[in-house]
Amino acid sequence: MARKQKTTAAPEDLIGQIVGRYDAEVGMLIPMMQDLQAECGYLAADDLRRLAARLEVPLSRLYAIATFYASFRLSPKGHHEVTLCVGTVCYLKGSGAISEKIRKEFRVEGGGTTPDGLFSFMPVNCVGACALAPVMIVDGRYYDGVTAASALDILRKLPPEEETGERKAKA
Amino acid sequence: MTVVATKRFTCVADLEEDRRRLREQRKSAARRVRVCIGTGCAAKGSRKLYELFCQAVRETDAGVEAVSCVGCHGFCQRGPIVVVEPGEIFYQRVEEPDVAEIFRETVQGGRVVERLLYQDPATGARARQAGEIPFYKAQQRIVLAHNGEIDPRSIDDSIAVGGYSALAKALATMTPEQVLQEVERSGLRGRGGGGFPTGRKWRSCREARGEPKYVISNGDEGDPGAFMDRSVMEGNPHAVLEGMILGAYAIGSSKGYIYVRNEYPLAVEHLREAIVQARRAGLLGEDILGTGFAFDVRINRGGGAFVCGESTALMASLEGRPGEPRAKYVHTVEHGLWDKPTNLNNVETWANVPAIINRGSDWFASIGTEKSKGTKVFSLVGEVTNTGLVEVPMGMTLRQIIFEIGGGVKGGRAFKAVQTGGPSGGCIPARFLDAPVDFDELTKLGSMMGSGGMIVMSEDTCMVNVARYFLNFLREESCGKCTPCREGLAQMLVILDRITHGQGQPGDIECLERVAVILEGTALCALGKTAANPVLSTLRYFRQEYDAHILQKRCPAKQCRGLFRYQIDEKACKACGVCRKHCPVQAITGQKKVPHVIDQEKCTLCGTCHEKCPFSAILKV
Amino acid sequence: MPTVTIDNVAVEVPKDATILDAARKAGIWIPTLCFHPAVPPQAMCRLCMVELDRGGWTQLVTACNYPVRRDIVVSVSSDRAVQARRGVMELLLARAPESKPLQALAGRMGVTGTPYPQVSKTQRDCVLCGLCTAVCDACLGRAAIGFAGRGKDRVVSTPFRQPAEDCIGCGACAAVCPVGTIQVRIHEKEGEIEISPFKTRVKAQLCQACGARIVSVPVLEEALGKARIDWEKFRRLVRLCPKCRRKAAAEQLAEVALAAAQAGYVSRPKAAAFLPSPRRGRGGGGEGAHATPPLTRPSATLSRKGRGNNDPKGSA
Repeated sequence: MARKQKTTAAPEDLIGQIVGRYDAEVGMLIPMMQDLQAECGYLAADDLRRLAARLEVPLSRLYAIATFYASFRLSPKGHHEVTLCVGTVCYLKGSGAISEKIRKEFRVEGGGTTPDGLFSFMPVNCVGACALAPVMIVDGRYYDGVTAASALDILRKLPPEEETGERKAKA
Repeated sequence: MTVVATKRFTCVADLEEDRRRLREQRKSAARRVRVCIGTGCAAKGSRKLYELFCQAVRETDAGVEAVSCVGCHGFCQRGPIVVVEPGEIFYQRVEEPDVAEIFRETVQGGRVVERLLYQDPATGARARQAGEIPFYKAQQRIVLAHNGEIDPRSIDDSIAVGGYSALAKALATMTPEQVLQEVERSGLRGRGGGGFPTGRKWRSCREARGEPKYVISNGDEGDPGAFMDRSVMEGNPHAVLEGMILGAYAIGSSKGYIYVRNEYPLAVEHLREAIVQARRAGLLGEDILGTGFAFDVRINRGGGAFVCGESTALMASLEGRPGEPRAKYVHTVEHGLWDKPTNLNNVETWANVPAIINRGSDWFASIGTEKSKGTKVFSLVGEVTNTGLVEVPMGMTLRQIIFEIGGGVKGGRAFKAVQTGGPSGGCIPARFLDAPVDFDELTKLGSMMGSGGMIVMSEDTCMVNVARYFLNFLREESCGKCTPCREGLAQMLVILDRITHGQGQPGDIECLERVAVILEGTALCALGKTAANPVLSTLRYFRQEYDAHILQKRCPAKQCRGLFRYQIDEKACKACGVCRKHCPVQAITGQKKVPHVIDQEKCTLCGTCHEKCPFSAILKV
Repeated sequence: MPTVTIDNVAVEVPKDATILDAARKAGIWIPTLCFHPAVPPQAMCRLCMVELDRGGWTQLVTACNYPVRRDIVVSVSSDRAVQARRGVMELLLARAPESKPLQALAGRMGVTGTPYPQVSKTQRDCVLCGLCTAVCDACLGRAAIGFAGRGKDRVVSTPFRQPAEDCIGCGACAAVCPVGTIQVRIHEKEGEIEISPFKTRVKAQLCQACGARIVSVPVLEEALGKARIDWEKFRRLVRLCPKCRRKAAAEQLAEVALAAAQAGYVSRPKAAAFLPSPRRGRGGGGEGAHATPPLTRPSATLSRKGRGNNDPKGSA
């Protein structure tokens, strides 16, 4: 189950860089954590410890932030990022059922990663593309009007290694 | 292709001179193709269309001036949208193979490709321009005026259509007090949901003591079904910036924030670029337009929390803390971000300000109703024929919006209700379709305007399930700080889960109502206080559905699994046997040429037969 | 000073005092759960709801943090306020149905049971009042624990649910917990203090003389870090339990007295008052054992006090 994940702590200067980018302003803590996650794929405990130490902010606050906001991950993500909109319109068009089918087939919880590390699954409440409901986003690419069958099909066909090229973790 | 203004305007005259030059330039341009790259059209591959058009231009070298990317037109259902100038030929549902034809026929040949024009489903008439399409005809676009016209990543495009002219006018000829008075007189009310008079908020902030003062743009548009702010931020970011600079000038603020939800990466990108360009042009930062006024903004992305749309939670987020609201006994205009006077307004509210300054408060106040002035952008979605963004004057009726502009309920189904105001709002049934849409009217009906979401529901929608959906949404998004919201929503959801699964009990509705009262009276923030609205409004207008679920274990809309039956329509059944083969419990019997029958005793209501029947002969009863 | 008329009793309070302050002054009881004078009011539990007269309409507000800025009229015992508080308590009882302290509070409010089933999982009756996290942050400056998660998943937790690195084992969280969820547990054998349920343990400082447990080592280090003291002397003394410390202090005093007498600063009889009475078989007892008179100058404190030779006032 070789995952090309970050397994060692982020280089020391990365934390320094990120902190410097925002002039060590504590108010920019969330953007700092977003940048850290964008670089490393997830928020590792040791990285958060170092960030807390740098900013002289209690670690419990970083942990509170990391567990409060849905976009933060404390464990490595899958090779692919799958977002399924379960906002009102998409839900009324069946995305709730689609979510259930995905969770069941791939044994993944919302906000978690499949056991084989293939993809991370994020049901979100509305991506603002309601005319295209139901919407599923895979590695930044939008699929509109998905059904349970088409969604499962797309996921089953996901290549097991990281795609080369431009799959940079977005936002 | 991003056109970057490299010039810095050191005075108003400079800016106006450049505006004249840019307008001349655009007038003399022969032809232009505008490709929408808003999130909706991009999701359907419009970026590739843009590339193909650029390639076509390069290959022919025909002297065609430009292929531009433009922002969201609002008619997302008909995307990808491509407009060709001159003539404003409006093409919809454009696909890659169409590019060559459009280029050859329209761009080079000046002819129209009929089949790509919008066609009225009733009359069959084709519309050449957007203004001929019923969806657009009745709209009055102030906020969305330039969406789809300008390249949002080009400050030159913005300037050419009048961007920053209000700022120039204000800095050159008006005092901060005069700017404030114009906004007060206009009657503008907050467009994010609260509907609070904007001028009054600005006035309180101006009078509050403390430095520095902050202005914030709330771009955390979390209501599911709403994407107005997304379109404005993506399609015309300079309008938002200009509004904020004007507000900062009026209030006496030098620092601003734009808080954009994490799920809108394109909006963040366009705003970022807009800020960079505005700074370079001397429209943001120190010494704006050489007047000595200084103001700058920065963008913060949300972390993925609906509650951060609440102003105090948003400010907590900006302070690097979890987005938990706090009491508002002391207003944020006095003690807000970092305990300083802070003026927070919604993106759409800010985007209205330049027009008010340019055309005057009297003009703005002449649109709309007595207490709700101006226009409002609604996102008309759900079971409606034409889904998309609709900007109309306040006071237009629900019927006009849903039927004239929206084209009525899709597939000819019957209209059942329209849900407005997101999770804090309610469902409005058919008998109120002639109600004018404004802040107070919707509140009277037990709903609210909210940020402008309008979700149309047909007869196939179970209203009890809708209530359950919203409760679940709120329970997931609740910050959990206060007892009534955290515990009360969990209790209500347990009850609604039972009801939608056929385990409702007498007394359930009374219990729901009791918890609703507790929530409304004791919750800490607006999310909790209004959380029971979806339940209360559906109880008010669709009580009979609740009763059917609880007393008869039946779902009249046939949506709740287990609460309706499947029956084979004898007349439609072709005895093909597909259903029989797929039934997991062998509940269907029948032979060749004999209509099949479902044994209701064995049936587990899984719905597979209904899904598989090629003749739609299986009905939900 | 604004006046608060609360249940028809008028009291004057300083500007920006809270309705709760006014109620206390008026002798009117309002139930609270998440309020504590040591930390700023969070108004999270929503138990202290009262009805505020807005002239024409009324508003339910929380008494613990509503700032009084002008004359106001408040009702604690109105139907609406009573029902609101009852509703909140019923929801809390549903969350922690086994909690005796919560039931006792409910009893005081006249609430005997709850119509709601238990639907949330709770960590040993925790009602998420936030006092533990507030005290640890605002009073101790450690913030070893905090809230984690959101909504129904909100819990009080240590970072990463691991033993808290910033915890000093002072037990303040246990002291303020209104429902007894947090407990300080002593592990005699290992000489450790545990804060349960946070799975955090700290070493306890044991008396170097008799082995009794004194205090948590990190607390000690905090205190040492914050105090400006004569380190040498203090380090010697602080590794003793109170009893042994008193003994050592007495002995040190005897030391000083003897030295002073020897140097002639005080008369022998006066110095004798500070000498320990002769004891047999107790770690050295007797006059000479600890009180070895230094042959060098007496302790610095003596001379610092600037007493000259033969000052009859002496210094001991």
